[in-house]
Amino acid sequence: MIKNSLKKLELKDKLLALIVPLLLLAAWQSAVSLELCSPLLLIPPLTLLDTLLYLADSGELTINIIASLNRVLVGFLIGGLSGFLLGLFMGLSPFLDRFAGPLIKASKQVPQFALMPLIILWFGVDELAKYVFIAIGAFYPMVFNTYQGVSTVSKRYRELARVFDYRGARFLTKVILPSAMPSIITGVRHSLGLSWMFVVGAEIFGADTGLGYMMAAARNMFQIDIVMAGLVVIGAIGFSINFILQVIEKRLLVWRFSSDQGASK
Amino acid sequence: MSIEKGTLQIRNLSKSFTVDGNALQVLNNINLTFPAGSFISIVGSSGCGKTTLLRILLGLETNYEGDALLDGERIEGPGTNRGIVFQDHRLLPWLTVGENVAFGLDKQNRKAKKKIVDEHLKLVGLSGFESAYPAQLSGGMAQRVAIARALANKPEILLLDEPLGALDALTRMHMQKELERLWLLEKITMVMVTHDVDEAIYLSDIVVIMSSRPGIIKQIIKVPFPRPRDRASSEFSHIKAEILKEFHLGTEYPFAYAI
Ligand SMILES: Nc1ncnc2c1ncn2[C@@H]1O[C@H](COP(=O)(O)OP(=O)(O)O)[C@@H](O)[C@H]1O
Ligand SMILES: [Mg+2]
Repeated sequence: MIKNSLKKLELKDKLLALIVPLLLLAAWQSAVSLELCSPLLLIPPLTLLDTLLYLADSGELTINIIASLNRVLVGFLIGGLSGFLLGLFMGLSPFLDRFAGPLIKASKQVPQFALMPLIILWFGVDELAKYVFIAIGAFYPMVFNTYQGVSTVSKRYRELARVFDYRGARFLTKVILPSAMPSIITGVRHSLGLSWMFVVGAEIFGADTGLGYMMAAARNMFQIDIVMAGLVVIGAIGFSINFILQVIEKRLLVWRFSSDQGASK
Repeated sequence: MSIEKGTLQIRNLSKSFTVDGNALQVLNNINLTFPAGSFISIVGSSGCGKTTLLRILLGLETNYEGDALLDGERIEGPGTNRGIVFQDHRLLPWLTVGENVAFGLDKQNRKAKKKIVDEHLKLVGLSGFESAYPAQLSGGMAQRVAIARALANKPEILLLDEPLGALDALTRMHMQKELERLWLLEKITMVMVTHDVDEAIYLSDIVVIMSSRPGIIKQIIKVPFPRPRDRASSEFSHIKAEILKEFHLGTEYPFAYAI
């Protein structure tokens, strides 16, 4: 009963969530039909679809998507992993926390896009500079969330571990990490999300492949349709990454999502 | 000289904490001897040091004066010869019921582990729940799992810190029966902290009454009745009156506080 009405509610919510996009689409189409703005600045929805299909068909889209995803993967692995390790050690050691914590928090205040000129000076305009830039984006959410998760492991669980003589690696993998996992996964989600934003930023700055490059090049040639197609693809991929991670999260944290199925308290 | 396994001796035990630079005396000169295989309850008002005493016996508080001896050896840290059931069940939420029960069993192989887990879930009446998560259990069920986890290591003594405190009255009486059954079955020493005088009398061979600030032993009362005990019997109410008297809740001076 309750489950059914919950499902209905969810469906209703989903339908409601479609209203605004549909209205926007209608507004967009009428703006074009009524010739409210120049076709050079806004193309009709169907033309956009054509452009998308054309880009997909020509293989151009695939090449650029792969280039961007590649950079995200490398940058995320570097930044996410170092953020994870630093967050872990800071969470485990109050000394390291006092030592490195303030610097990391302070450096977070610098808008990361402002680092771009410096990164270019230091690392050039090649792939390395892009990896570094994306890694910086991936680093912060990972370090903070991991730290948060590890440093707030309940004293009650630490005591239990002591009672059962869990130490070293066993303590880390059986108590600390599982307890911190919800936070860590949140970190991964934000970290990957930012990596995806940063890759586009980096490619707009200067690249010869990637979705950001595709859009920047199209803008130079006033190909508004390709610019808009790029936006749609970037949004869709960002959305999909987040969706996939949410599915993984539900799988990994099944213990958190299972409370409603059993006996009541 | 050999001491039977599960014998607890507490000699001149004192414990103080440092709070804001001042020493707070929590336990003062405690002397107790618990024979192996007995069921002991410790009753006393909140803050009188019951949990601290259990934590010393468990080995979580190592900085104490005097001696707490298990089988003649001074307790200096946790060990698998002692099991604990905390007031909060303290199951790890990311592990299934079965994995929680197996939490203390690292040295065995998987098959041996599974056998022990099955046995102990059966013991506490939760066969078939091994793949449930703690969040899916009721309070009473979670506490049973916690008991199974503590017993799975085959401890010589089981320490219980208000294990039934969070349960409703009916579940609680049911669990008291279960605890008695387990105690008769396992033949180990059990030391239980409780607020509930009826519970203490129902289960214990010895009831230790503590009073607070600092925690001292006020009275040690033996309960010699056969089991299972009848809560409505006159001998039961007699002992109960004797214990309540220690808390100035006896019936002899019913108006003492009203005046
Ligand atoms: N780690 C600690 N640091 C300081 N004071 C403590 C600590 N643990 C317990 N106490 C104090 O010791 C006293 C006894 O606590 P406790 O043993 O938990 O009492 P009980 O279990 O009988 O309610 C309380 O006043 C409590 O505040
Ligand atoms: Mg207590």
